[in-house]
Amino acid sequence: MESQTLENLELVDLALAYGLVLLAVALARLKRIGQEGQMLWASVRMVFQLLAVGYLLHFVFAVKNPLPVIAILFVMGAFALQVMGGRIRRKMPHFYRVMGTSLFIGCGGVTFLFCTVVVRYSPWWDPRYLIPLAGMIIGNSMNGASLAAERLGAEMRERKDEIETALCLGASGRQASETAVQTAFRAALVPTVNTMAAMGIVSLPGMMTGQILSGTEPMVAVRYQIAIMCAITGAVAITAFLILLQGYRHYFSKAHQFVGE
Amino acid sequence: MAFVKGKDPVTVRLEKIRVVRKNREGVEVDLLRDISFSARSGQITAVIGPSGGGKSTLIRLINRLTEPSSGTVFLEGKEIVRLDPLQLRRTVALVPQKPFMFEGSVLDNLQRPFVYRQEPLPAIDSEEVRRSLALARLDLDMAQRDARSLSVGEQQRVSLARALITSPRVLLLDEPTSALDRRTADALAATLQEICRSQKLTVIMVTHDLRLAGRVADYCLYLEGGCILEQGSAEELLTRPGSQQLQRFLAEPSEEEA
Repeated sequence: MESQTLENLELVDLALAYGLVLLAVALARLKRIGQEGQMLWASVRMVFQLLAVGYLLHFVFAVKNPLPVIAILFVMGAFALQVMGGRIRRKMPHFYRVMGTSLFIGCGGVTFLFCTVVVRYSPWWDPRYLIPLAGMIIGNSMNGASLAAERLGAEMRERKDEIETALCLGASGRQASETAVQTAFRAALVPTVNTMAAMGIVSLPGMMTGQILSGTEPMVAVRYQIAIMCAITGAVAITAFLILLQGYRHYFSKAHQFVGE
Repeated sequence: MAFVKGKDPVTVRLEKIRVVRKNREGVEVDLLRDISFSARSGQITAVIGPSGGGKSTLIRLINRLTEPSSGTVFLEGKEIVRLDPLQLRRTVALVPQKPFMFEGSVLDNLQRPFVYRQEPLPAIDSEEVRRSLALARLDLDMAQRDARSLSVGEQQRVSLARALITSPRVLLLDEPTSALDRRTADALAATLQEICRSQKLTVIMVTHDLRLAGRVADYCLYLEGGCILEQGSAEELLTRPGSQQLQRFLAEPSEEEA
């Protein structure tokens, strides 16, 4: 990548930018919202986490072996799983097993196909491509996955009467929970579909902006953005679909009894 | 304890049923304990008793919506755990206390069981639709109405028609008249009695309504605190209660289920 056009930021420049955070804290203090401590702490965390990631990537990009790169992807997936576990209060039965396998197949499959069939750089595990691409795919799928899981749980609770009525009329567990599963799938896809529809008009996506800033020809950056957005949509849909496919079963016994959570 | 004599075969039999659940503190409590009784075809069995006594849980065992912790439920001599549960629920229909209407017309609701079974749907002028609506004391022109816009009493009857449309052999009813006015309740009770006799249907009915139980039931169980305290012919049980608990229950002014 040609990065000659991008001005490197000096520490002094960063300190000036950090002044804007201090301004935000000052405004918060003025209005006495009582969040100043949290804001400062968050900004400090941001600085150190990004510096750490920068150093880590610096070393990883030099790696000439696929194993450590793939290990990093697994760590990213595990963090995503942990974030989802923390975000969802009422977890479906076998939560981590369902979410883990779905995320693995949905994100892993799409990322692998994307790298080998669409982008076709070599080697396919080149960390400079694989890590940021997988990061975007996992991050978006994580949101879709938690929406699917949370909504499925809520629908199953709210629709208890409907589900049991259906079972009484001879429905299987799958038939009885069909509406609940549909609603959850729809909820999981909404943010991604909205993002696609608003792309380029309401928001300039971060990846594209970054590429342009670093000197990439806008038309090239746009093509990358289109491709990655398609990959994200596919990954979100596959992950959510797999979660619901496995998830609904755990609400029913083998004898088609609604067992809840 | 006097048992109902008769030649009608026993269709439903519960033997030494116990249902244990964990309460909120995680302590195991008995919802039902040592439940044994038989229900015969062509007869109406009423299950009476105060709220929270396990009446609804009891009928849910018979179409296997709930699994007992121990004990056995028999349908026509076979253990129900040996039957296919979906097949079982075609034979044993349950009408829940709170009627749930699926989106769409009354006809859509009546067609639901056929959708689940992937069978051809009965048309609006079909014998099945006419017969089930008539049995539930609903007019035929009701079929086109939006099911969710009906009154609770009408929904309760659509729910009954929906259960009857597939000609079950056992009918389980949870408070079938709770949302009906007295006249409709009486009419429905008469119909129930009629179809029970003519179709040799086995009816097990949970009810708060002692008037209804006295009017239509052949056999009666008094359930309190998860135990059957008394069972016998409805006439005997309701007129000559043996236990103090049942005497007290019968003496109370009839409370309507919320």
